[in-house]
Amino acid sequence: MNTILEVRDLVKEYPGVKALRGVDLDVREAEVHCLLGPNGAGKSTLIKCVSGAVEPTSGQIRFQGEPLPAGDPAGSLKRGVATIYQELDLVEDLSVAESVFLAHEPRRGPLLDLDKMYRDSAALLARLGHEGIPPRAKVGALRPAAQQIVSIARALSGDVRLLIMDEPSAILDGSEIETLFEVVRRLTGEGVGVVYISHRLDEIRRIGDRVTVLADGATAANGLPATTPTDELVELMVGRKVDQLYPDRPVGTDKLLLEVKDAKRLPAVRGVSLRVHAGEVVGLGGLVGSGRTELLRLIYGLDQPEEGEVFIDGERLPPNRPDRAIKKGLGLAPEDRKSQALVLDWSQTKNVTLADLHRFSRLVLNIKTERARAREQLQQLQTVPDDPDRHARLLSGGNQQKVVLARWLLHECRVLMLDEPTRGVDVATKAEIYRIVSDLAKAGLGVLVVSSELEELVGICSRVLVMREGEIVAEVAGQDATERELLRHAVAPTDAPVLAEEVE
Amino acid sequence: MTTSQADAAEGPSRAAGALERAKTAEAQQYVLAGVLVLLFIVGAVLKPDTFPTWDNIRNMLTQASVIGVLAMGMTFVIATAGIDLSVGSMLAAAGLFGGILVGDDGTSSLVFIAGALVFATVLGTVNATAIAYGRVVPFIATLAMFSIGRGIALLLNDKLPVSLLDLNGGSFGEPAVFSLAWFGNGRIIGIPVSVYVFLGITIAGWVLLNRTRYGRYVVAVGGNREAARIAGVPVRKIIFSVYVLSGLLAGVGTVLLCARLGSASPVSGNLYELDAIGAVVIGGTSLAGGRASIVGTFLGVLTFALIFSLMTQLNLSTEVQQVTKGLIVLGAVLLQRPEARY
Amino acid sequence: MSRLRLLICIAAASLLAVGVAACGGETKTVTEEAAGTPAAGGDSGKTVNIIASVPPTDHGWLGAVSKNAKSQAEKYKDVKFELLQAADADSQAQQVEQAIAKKPDVLVVLPQDGAALTPVAQKAQRAGIPVVNIDRTFTKPDAATATVLGDNYQIGTLAADYIAKELKCKGNVVEIQGLAGIEVTTDRTKGFAEQLKKKCKDGIKIVAQQPGDFNPDAGLKAMENILQAEKKIDAVYTHDDDMAQGVVQAIKTSGREKEMFLTGVGGSEDAMKQIAAGGLYRATFLYNPNMAATGINMARLIGLGEGFSELVPPEVPRNLVVPAAVVTKDNVKEYEKYAFN
Repeated sequence: MNTILEVRDLVKEYPGVKALRGVDLDVREAEVHCLLGPNGAGKSTLIKCVSGAVEPTSGQIRFQGEPLPAGDPAGSLKRGVATIYQELDLVEDLSVAESVFLAHEPRRGPLLDLDKMYRDSAALLARLGHEGIPPRAKVGALRPAAQQIVSIARALSGDVRLLIMDEPSAILDGSEIETLFEVVRRLTGEGVGVVYISHRLDEIRRIGDRVTVLADGATAANGLPATTPTDELVELMVGRKVDQLYPDRPVGTDKLLLEVKDAKRLPAVRGVSLRVHAGEVVGLGGLVGSGRTELLRLIYGLDQPEEGEVFIDGERLPPNRPDRAIKKGLGLAPEDRKSQALVLDWSQTKNVTLADLHRFSRLVLNIKTERARAREQLQQLQTVPDDPDRHARLLSGGNQQKVVLARWLLHECRVLMLDEPTRGVDVATKAEIYRIVSDLAKAGLGVLVVSSELEELVGICSRVLVMREGEIVAEVAGQDATERELLRHAVAPTDAPVLAEEVE
Repeated sequence: MTTSQADAAEGPSRAAGALERAKTAEAQQYVLAGVLVLLFIVGAVLKPDTFPTWDNIRNMLTQASVIGVLAMGMTFVIATAGIDLSVGSMLAAAGLFGGILVGDDGTSSLVFIAGALVFATVLGTVNATAIAYGRVVPFIATLAMFSIGRGIALLLNDKLPVSLLDLNGGSFGEPAVFSLAWFGNGRIIGIPVSVYVFLGITIAGWVLLNRTRYGRYVVAVGGNREAARIAGVPVRKIIFSVYVLSGLLAGVGTVLLCARLGSASPVSGNLYELDAIGAVVIGGTSLAGGRASIVGTFLGVLTFALIFSLMTQLNLSTEVQQVTKGLIVLGAVLLQRPEARY
Repeated sequence: MSRLRLLICIAAASLLAVGVAACGGETKTVTEEAAGTPAAGGDSGKTVNIIASVPPTDHGWLGAVSKNAKSQAEKYKDVKFELLQAADADSQAQQVEQAIAKKPDVLVVLPQDGAALTPVAQKAQRAGIPVVNIDRTFTKPDAATATVLGDNYQIGTLAADYIAKELKCKGNVVEIQGLAGIEVTTDRTKGFAEQLKKKCKDGIKIVAQQPGDFNPDAGLKAMENILQAEKKIDAVYTHDDDMAQGVVQAIKTSGREKEMFLTGVGGSEDAMKQIAAGGLYRATFLYNPNMAATGINMARLIGLGEGFSELVPPEVPRNLVVPAAVVTKDNVKEYEKYAFN
């Protein structure tokens, strides 16, 4: 099989930082080449060099035997290198079809050929198994998962020889991931080379052919077979052994902290009741779009419920008042940290203390105390770098999540709600976050976790509730839960089985 | 959702660029201070006898005070990613309102001052209500007030100015303390009262923005509205408050301007909002919200006053003045943001 | 997203600037009807329908123009009068267009911008509606049947004559101009400079010329800076009485009111009072707002047409220049009745 992409000794220096210090990578035609590495290892920089978004300092990138022009995204694209970035780079106000054909719109004379645009984008979406996405809908109105599909359709709208996918599965649920894999397999069948970045080690075995591991800006292992044992890969990534991914499972008490009675906001949430006790971690599983995030928003008071009540310690929370919910001891670490949790241009300190400024405020803020208290929390969570003035924008996903957790630790909240707490977080940091969640529960908090990673719910929860189409359809005790069982509850019984091996 | 710029997951690579940007943001004030010093030196060279004099500095500070007070309010508004286009109109309307309140025989400065402050605050509250609770886009709501305020100013006294020359505290010569004329021409140890007001509001604004919970909330709302709400910031109240504050400060601007002018004119304050916004923006406050600098605004206001004074002293013709002013503003902004040049 | 918003802000801000330059952009229509009953006797019994269109009267002089036009029209029993106010040149053109549809006997137009209103005035003329043009002239001769003009150039020369005499052709003069870029300002500046040159050669120097935009606070700021720059000023020539109040304030605050005197233009009540009281404000040059009344008179004559053919020449005079007058302490009493405010 021919090598389609050849990267040799690639170096990229930013003022004061060496992001890549000599990276090698070989991708063959018709293979799925997985790229592994902890956050900060240089994966994104590497793919940006290949896609032309960034100009490397030195080194060689050869594509189909010829050197790729450096720092020329249009040139890379023209030669057939398409990239789907980890963060959705879509314009929310454009329609699906407009997004798919952004910057290479089909034209008839000087005018846009809208018919062709709608027709072709519908065909592309159908090829991805998502005929359901209307080409005329605004991208902003779609769920992140559907937006991801649009991104992929956009990448496929040209003649692609090499497709780079940066964590495409991070926001997809089980069935959607399977669809994605189908698409990937079809592309490799056509001879396209795929570079696949993911933090989920299990995916590598399911879809990957070979694996390259990056660590600290250099290639730690080049072109290993996908069957390489997990332990070995993890060790290569973090440079040490990760003892135990999941801590001991917390056991709840009888003390009722949070009670939700018949919360309803159509169409996403159709009457949900649940209880969270002190000391337990309650998981909320289900497919993307099953109403989990919307439920958290209702509980927290971000949206106006149509019906239903929320109680903390037996006291009713006024609807649509997050500030009151916080005062009563509720905390939320939302799904999208960057757009919903953090002020990115602010220091870690300011982000940590935002919900608790009254503590440091008499007439004016006591900046010193504020900083010290924020630092205590950050240190306790082992946030790196240990610099309270570092801007949130400059932190990795895992550390950004820790900043959000530090905010609620400082607040000494009673019930913590986590929405996809480990999305975009590397393995080592995932383990830390699981430990933190477990410790919090042991300290008497009630924790409610939404996750699309079933393995994670199985690993850390005292109980798992499964949502489907806006309702809770099952409750499974943590120690009895298996990914398979959760998935079975999550998909509608009338639906065709999502995974081939799930047929019973 | 154009998150490519917000992508920080790959630590060092992104970090470097962003770190530079962060430093640049801090350095912006120093650059602007440098521009200010440079302009002063240019003035001193071109007009050595009349430009670098204590008298002229005092004059420039006095002239800067009205726009300066408006710009402080504007800084808070822009910090929330809003805009207030109505400050000049509110200023004129408040002046006329205070003027007709005093009437012909009135000698009470307090009536004028209170009237102007209250009326401007009321107009600001109208803006605030429309924006925070009526969910009207700030640009449109304040554009409407831009028109309404000017209309009210013209209506109140049948398009005519109101003379306020009698409001000097009832004595001849030096105006009485806290009389209207005192705010215009009074001096304390040689410095005009209006300059104290401007500096006082600047310092108060700095403390409010950088050292209080309120200021932190204001910037949080501009930086990331959703995140602020999830962290329990009363977002609407904050947005409401900044437009009320802007109205109140327009009222203060009214007092300073009318005091100096000895009358309240329905055409005064024309396009002051553009100078105020310009000063705020060259001072490094981001129009997109989330980054605000009172010191920057202060320097921006001084820069505008200095440019105007220098060009008038050089007796440049209007058209040359306009081009020069535009070029200096553009140059100052470009100097501050080297990363914007790509 | 944020970058997009920024762009929109900037675009909108520049739009705003343009809109502002066009004076707000909204159309305010004030329709005032002064219906006169048909004359009982003496006259031909014909009623003349006159529609007058003027720019926004947010300025003292323009306010006086409207008032005078209205009161003059009310004097005649045989005149049916309607006054339209427009916010800017565009909306004024639309208004005149609509007025044509009403088929008045005569149109009286004081254009916001002569050039912009010329086409629609031509249209009215062609439709058989005579147009009387006041103050700011159209750019085509066939756009108006008659024109009533003030003389801005003459105002400049009168001011130069006065200042030359007072200063005995020796000294420094400051000129605070009106809004830059319009004919009124250019004429007042040109008349002043040329007459001063003619009278005194280089005896009097214009040391500073800055715009005050017909706005007191702009006048104040300009004068404050000029006072910093110029250590010896003998006289200040301002283009407008309202604006001059700001200039007066700047001079008073500087404590230099003994050093110089000041002249205005327009004839506002405030200015007349200060002239009568003596001191800093020495003179104003009357740009007679009564020219509107003259315009109404002409419109009526044209409208009555043949009925008057024996009394006036068959043609109403085509151009009428209303002369400017010098108002000083000596004659201010005579002119107070013309004062507006």
